[in-house]
Amino acid sequence: MGMGGGNKGQGRVTMSEINVTPMVDVMLVLLIIFMVTAPLIQQGVKVNLPEAKAAPVEAAEKKLVLSIDAGNRVFIGDAEVLLDELEKKLAANAKAQSEKEIYLHADRDVPYGVVVEVMAAAQRAGITNVGMITDPASKGTRTDPAPGSTGSKGGKKEAKR
Amino acid sequence: MKALLLSLLLLPFAAFAQAPVIQISGANFRPLPLAYPAPLTVDDGGKKATADFDDPFLFDLRASGLFQVLDRASFTADAKEGITAGSINFARWSDVGAESLVKVQLGAEGGTLRGELRLFNVGSGREDFKASHAVPTSEPRQLAHFLADALYRHLTREPSPFLSHIVFVRKARDNRDVWTADWDGNNARALTSGGINLLPALGPDGAVAYTSYRKGQPDLYLQKPGSEAQPIVQNGQMATGVAFSPDGKRIAYAQAQGESTQIYVANTDGSDPKRITDTPYGINSSPSWSPDGKRLAFVSNRGGSPQIYVMNVDGTNARRLTFQGNYNQTPDWSPRGDLIAFTARDERNAFDLFSVNVDTGKITRLTQDQSNNEEPVFSPNGRLILFSSTRTGTAQLFVMTAEGNNPLPLPMGKGGGLTPDWAP
Repeated sequence: MGMGGGNKGQGRVTMSEINVTPMVDVMLVLLIIFMVTAPLIQQGVKVNLPEAKAAPVEAAEKKLVLSIDAGNRVFIGDAEVLLDELEKKLAANAKAQSEKEIYLHADRDVPYGVVVEVMAAAQRAGITNVGMITDPASKGTRTDPAPGSTGSKGGKKEAKR
Repeated sequence: MKALLLSLLLLPFAAFAQAPVIQISGANFRPLPLAYPAPLTVDDGGKKATADFDDPFLFDLRASGLFQVLDRASFTADAKEGITAGSINFARWSDVGAESLVKVQLGAEGGTLRGELRLFNVGSGREDFKASHAVPTSEPRQLAHFLADALYRHLTREPSPFLSHIVFVRKARDNRDVWTADWDGNNARALTSGGINLLPALGPDGAVAYTSYRKGQPDLYLQKPGSEAQPIVQNGQMATGVAFSPDGKRIAYAQAQGESTQIYVANTDGSDPKRITDTPYGINSSPSWSPDGKRLAFVSNRGGSPQIYVMNVDGTNARRLTFQGNYNQTPDWSPRGDLIAFTARDERNAFDLFSVNVDTGKITRLTQDQSNNEEPVFSPNGRLILFSSTRTGTAQLFVMTAEGNNPLPLPMGKGGGLTPDWAP
């Protein structure tokens, strides 16, 4: 496409284009992060979710969920993957690549550094939106979210407030 | 990119218990996201056949245009997962974006290679279809094509192109030889050895007709499976562009005649030739039969430049079909009847492929900005187009959907190919 690139060996040609590479780099740093409430997410991996009072987003459909359990093990869905392979797996994943969005389902005791590594791997794999799954600040009662136990919206067993 | 000209519909066929049918037409077609992990094997014989099965099977799935074949690098399923619905963790397949899952199991005993295919709906976790087939252990490719055909038939209710054959010309130094091969270009065999052999046609019964200079002049020859080539048109005039009628009983070809070239229709053995065009000068050539065998598409420069025309097989009712461009040639009439694909030289002197609707005259561009693309020919089911392209530097055979999507090179190795023809 570039006008500068095509003339093989015929001397130099002035680049008449804006170099967009630095701009792309800036864009890639931007990762859109939002909160997702736990009751809508059925997940096989057992984690203690952090609580957050931030206004949650309601999950509309099933997104790909990355889990990090208390032992810092990483899962795509309920399949454990090595952190080294995470980027490759996500880059090849048709669901993640078409939606450009994943949900992160990490235990509250996972070190910040691990979470950042996982988010960076997702970002390198081209995923721009990361939903942080949290417990919707239900007065600290939920220490064990009983994986896969909640289903339809409304969260009938939440009995919050 | 998603605006493929096909549509995916779920049709409630009572007889098929809500199995999905891929309706390959309409504006909303979206390739079905399909996961196909490496085949399971039940023994060492199955293991040995895996690679030779896997490549052609994957190519069939990819080239069909029906599927978005998912990248195995993304798969998270357990390596020990089996071939029955009960052993499959469908959530893991859904997590990689699969809507359908195909599992294949291979096993060999004695001299027989047995393959079993199962298709699962990932959403419902149900087995939708299964097929099995056995071949001699030396033929894992045939097993792959057979099982891919069974899957294609189940999903579309149409025959696939996977069991069909092609014929083409391959250059070798100063020679041009006629070759036949499986649809994916494998299993290639040379029919001629040396000399100049051109423009082959493949009949429905495997017979091949072509122009050959083996006696110094361009005559037409017919070669039936397992027998020697017989001259069928041999009168010192250049005879080219032979095409078999859909029933395989007649041929059409172009023959030079003084200042002009005219189209003839004859029996397959060359007997009873009838001239059906009669222009005082200029060229009428490259006949291609309509699927009902009643009409021919052809090229004529009677209007000044080479254009695509159609006429009845007796030569009446000739009608010009293309009015764009000034160099349109090599028409091929789709076995579905609605379209004629052809080669056109465009405004930048590049050859590209187009199709024209026989009834409306509407022209659709199929290739663009990919070097030269020539000699389109439809698959026997009309869903794919085979053509030769110089996009990789030398002339290679490529296949794409009839809408011009998803072009893939045939995995046929060295030598490339020109002027292909395709038959069941």
